[in-house]
Amino acid sequence: MHVEYQKPRWTDKFLLLDMLEGLKTTLRELFKPKVTIRYPEERLEPANRFRGMFKFSFDRCIACKLCALACPIDIIYIDVHDEQREIDGKMKKLKVLDRYDIDVKRCMFCALCEEACPTKPKSIWLTTKTYELASYDRKDLYFNMQQLEYWEGRPEYAGLPADEPEPKQIEGGMP
Amino acid sequence: MTQDLLMRYLIWPLVKFLVAFIIVQVIVAAMNYIERRLLGLMQARLGPNRVGNEVFEKITPRSLHRFIPGGLLQIIADPIKFLLKEDIVPSSSEKVAYFLGPMLPLIPAFLVFCLIPYGPPPTFVVTHVNVGLLLILALTSTGVYGIILGGWASNNKYSLMGGLRSAAQMVSYEVPFGLSIVGVLMLCGSFDLVRIINYQADHIWNLFPQLIAAFIFLVAMNAENNRTPFDLPEAESELVAGYHTEYSAMKFAFFMLAEYSSMIVNCCLMVSLFMGGWTLAINGYGLTTGVLRGWGLAGGILGAVIFISKVMLFMLMYIWFRATFPRFRFDQLMDLGWKWMIPLALANIAVTAVVVLLGLQFNFQGEVVLSIAGAAIIAFTLFLLLRPRAKVIHARRVSEA
Repeated sequence: MHVEYQKPRWTDKFLLLDMLEGLKTTLRELFKPKVTIRYPEERLEPANRFRGMFKFSFDRCIACKLCALACPIDIIYIDVHDEQREIDGKMKKLKVLDRYDIDVKRCMFCALCEEACPTKPKSIWLTTKTYELASYDRKDLYFNMQQLEYWEGRPEYAGLPADEPEPKQIEGGMP
Repeated sequence: MTQDLLMRYLIWPLVKFLVAFIIVQVIVAAMNYIERRLLGLMQARLGPNRVGNEVFEKITPRSLHRFIPGGLLQIIADPIKFLLKEDIVPSSSEKVAYFLGPMLPLIPAFLVFCLIPYGPPPTFVVTHVNVGLLLILALTSTGVYGIILGGWASNNKYSLMGGLRSAAQMVSYEVPFGLSIVGVLMLCGSFDLVRIINYQADHIWNLFPQLIAAFIFLVAMNAENNRTPFDLPEAESELVAGYHTEYSAMKFAFFMLAEYSSMIVNCCLMVSLFMGGWTLAINGYGLTTGVLRGWGLAGGILGAVIFISKVMLFMLMYIWFRATFPRFRFDQLMDLGWKWMIPLALANIAVTAVVVLLGLQFNFQGEVVLSIAGAAIIAFTLFLLLRPRAKVIHARRVSEA
């Protein structure tokens, strides 16, 4: 591309107008509000579809193990036992969860488990907007059922359950 | 009798020097923080804003929190860090010269503070020397030895290159630096800074009649202190850190101290020579030395405050320049020094001399003519700079391919 520059007039050259213009710019910049977010005191709220820390609901889970099957790196460990229980006067066979652990330190947050979950609303979901997962010990990143359901000592956003209506798709947007 | 002399020539100047020294060192320490903060703000970021916030939030009422800039204790944290860092001496260095390197520039930088008039004499002048300006120039120009010595003694090619560049640069810019002062000297007719300042209060700030000299002085003083856009001796992208690459801890701090001290010295000179020193007067009206003296000690302190605020204004200008201008190439630097600054300074001397002489011959005041010319240049520049205009697109696309 050929670019032709306007020839500077001699007054502009002698009075160093370009340099003064630069000084003007930096001076203007000095008084502009800054966009920096001072992290521990200020936080940006992640977008609604942001995949953060897991949340698990024991009540919704039907122990179908589909999430463990869907997990590409097999970090969801589920143990189940059958139980006979009386519901509405009939004896029914029921699956009861013994163990539902996620090794979060190896997770890549692909959310395939959430996709695979057949319950409605989902019994495992990642749209919790929680991303402060750093820890001093590897052990702290292995979560069992209780820990997944009731977080302790982690900053919590209100979090969107996955069953909430999805944000409207803009027409002509992404497929 | 002896006691009297002792008080007058030894103890009293010593006390004054210590007070001035402490004030200047506080400014130096504060400048470090101010520079980092302002530079950050000008570059669309925040700069250091953490250290000491909790302390200040505890001691001040809640309503004031908004007005306290963050990170104020950085001023104290930096020196402490310098003191506590490990002092590394390269085994291949020339030991004596290596230790002398950071010390040498400190001596002239601190000595000069004896010679600067901070307020109306005699109370606020440490030593009243009638060739003060000459002495200051002589002292400040020795500052380069420490840099060369440090650069050479480190036994490091980057340091050596930095030292050499610094030497070349300081030698070249010493010339326009000195020449720019000549015009002022011709107008005021004295080397005595006090008399130069009094002359400006009685006539007009030398900024106007000696506008070009003031500009050259500003550029040369940036170059003398190795500040951007002339910071080639410590160009990070080429020379790691230049002459102080091998220096750490307190030795490095000494280099910084000397640099900032000589920055303040140059700003003091700029203010004394071109901005009317501690006075705020034009044509003898306003806060002249006489008026300030009439108010006794309070007037003196007011004068010193005016002086220091003017100096701070120029210190901020250093930062402003650093945030704005990119670094020169070395040949560009030499071009600017030898092909532009020196001829311009000589032309300024010639014009000033001719106008002053013509004024003597034909009975008009030469500096009034020069002032009008200077003020006209400033006004025209400001007009060009601030005029409202449509957005000009300088680059026009001719063809695409």
